[in-house]
Amino acid sequence: MKRPVVIFPALAGLLLVLAACASMKSVPGLPESHSETLAPGQQINCSECHNDQNKGAMKSLTSFSHTKVFVKNHRYYASTDDRLCSVCHRPSFCADCHTGQVEMKPSVKYGYRPDRELPHRGNFMTLHKIEGKIDPAGCYRCHGRANNERCVACHR
Amino acid sequence: MKKTVSCLLSAVLLLALPAAVLAETSIESTTIFRFFQDSRTGFPQKNFVPATQFLSIDADKLADGNLSLHLYGWGRLDLGDKSFNNDQADGNLTHGYLKYRFNQANAQIRAGRFIINEGIINEKIDGVSARTDLPLGFGISAFGGANVHSAHIPNENTDGKGDAIYGGRLHYRYRGMLELGVSGLYETAAPALGRLSNQILAREGKFGNHRLVGGDVWLAPLNMLELMGHTSYNTETRSVADHSYQLNLKPLKQLVLTGEFNEYRDRSNFLTSVMFSSMYSALRDMSRVKGGIASYAINSQIDLSADYRHYTREIGNADRTGTDLRYRFMDNSIRTGAGYHYLRAGSAFAVTPSSASSASYHELRGFIMRDDTSYFASADAIIFVFDKKISDKQSAWEVATSVGYRLTPLLALSGDISYGQNPQFTDDLKGLLRLTYNLNLSSKGGAR
Repeated sequence: MKRPVVIFPALAGLLLVLAACASMKSVPGLPESHSETLAPGQQINCSECHNDQNKGAMKSLTSFSHTKVFVKNHRYYASTDDRLCSVCHRPSFCADCHTGQVEMKPSVKYGYRPDRELPHRGNFMTLHKIEGKIDPAGCYRCHGRANNERCVACHR
Repeated sequence: MKKTVSCLLSAVLLLALPAAVLAETSIESTTIFRFFQDSRTGFPQKNFVPATQFLSIDADKLADGNLSLHLYGWGRLDLGDKSFNNDQADGNLTHGYLKYRFNQANAQIRAGRFIINEGIINEKIDGVSARTDLPLGFGISAFGGANVHSAHIPNENTDGKGDAIYGGRLHYRYRGMLELGVSGLYETAAPALGRLSNQILAREGKFGNHRLVGGDVWLAPLNMLELMGHTSYNTETRSVADHSYQLNLKPLKQLVLTGEFNEYRDRSNFLTSVMFSSMYSALRDMSRVKGGIASYAINSQIDLSADYRHYTREIGNADRTGTDLRYRFMDNSIRTGAGYHYLRAGSAFAVTPSSASSASYHELRGFIMRDDTSYFASADAIIFVFDKKISDKQSAWEVATSVGYRLTPLLALSGDISYGQNPQFTDDLKGLLRLTYNLNLSSKGGAR
């Protein structure tokens, strides 16, 4: 008796998706890449060129200006608009930190770029004993289920 | 196993090269030789010279122009003593996938090893993902595959992850002012743990299956107002895992005022990590982080910000406050910055908690860098001054300098030296040599 209850909504959903696919060509998409090369190390201000007018369901580009707040909390934007990120950034830019298994701190790999907001500068070995107690959820976000091989060397 | 991974990584990257050179390709190769010595009293002296090769290949416009290949990984060979684990060599294919991008509806398909970051989902898989926008403001994404097992838990044959994982997100957008999303993931049953202490974690309900659902929101009714965040719910513990929300106000073009609110239930949040779930009991379950940032661009060269955060845990609370300044000049070729922060934290958060201890400390940082067409150089200094000594040290500090020369527009040689003193080491002197090769045949906009 349970099976038809599950099957009918699934079929209805499938039909809706098929109907939507039929009209997909009318749904606009972002360009593959930004038309201009953007200077490295600069706090990109989208509003310098893009006005606040939105097209369709697209968010205002000024929301994506790289202020300090944006850089610090970019996770909110990346989790819903990573397609927009990829217009300017290659995926390897994200992978500088978000790899799942890092060989060295990004701040060591990019020691010549102190202007980049890279985590754990200085002697974080001491500080993590304090920071890890105050906000372990902040650690978990990156080191929870992956990228923790060096953590488990001590935390057995 | 590690050797196999290293060989596989090299083989895959080499095999990819012929295809890559035919396309619009970006190759970033960084070779790093590090030098450091461990001469702690009571331990045998060790000299470490790990050589690490990082390689990133992005080959765009393959096939009909919409297909791209992305391969990132690293390999390490210890030329001196073993620098990390029991292996003289190590390596990892961190990302390796094909992406097909459709011209309409932001649709794309990925296949291979990659990170999924959609709504409340943040996972690394060997599998397939697809997503597209739909008419009327809707959008849908889905993924499925095998978990990437990248960690080794001592005395276990597993990293605590189930074998397969799948999930997706459905969203709705309205006129560029509202986005609502629901997302969820389902992982096959968590593996049985062998170590007794870990078995107890599972029996006590502190470790279990990875199954989450959640919702996210983005709301901007006015250009000067933006609210975003998400809530995740753990269906195994039947409890909220986290609330994370941020409110941005932009009363002036140059000014951003931000408020944030985060609440975590550690049991539900950490349920699928043996390492974290084994630690949370001492801190108890609930924590909150509230705070705000004011960021002001004085002009195109100077940014000033001030921030405050209040941390609440059942064992105590803490406050962090501070300010940062960034200054760029000479056509952005010279960049400098300075910052100061103070963390006020009670003894419960101290390295060794006791009535006489403290976790409070001051943090002071300053840097300057020059990036010229032929050379680049930087200096970076950071010091943490503790209110109460840690291991008989009042502070931990480090000064790092880097100098590099571009041998050709694509090839650069650089060297770093850092020196510091801290509770771990009386003298902490490290050096490295770095050879960087950046080839960008892609028409894509700036990548950095």
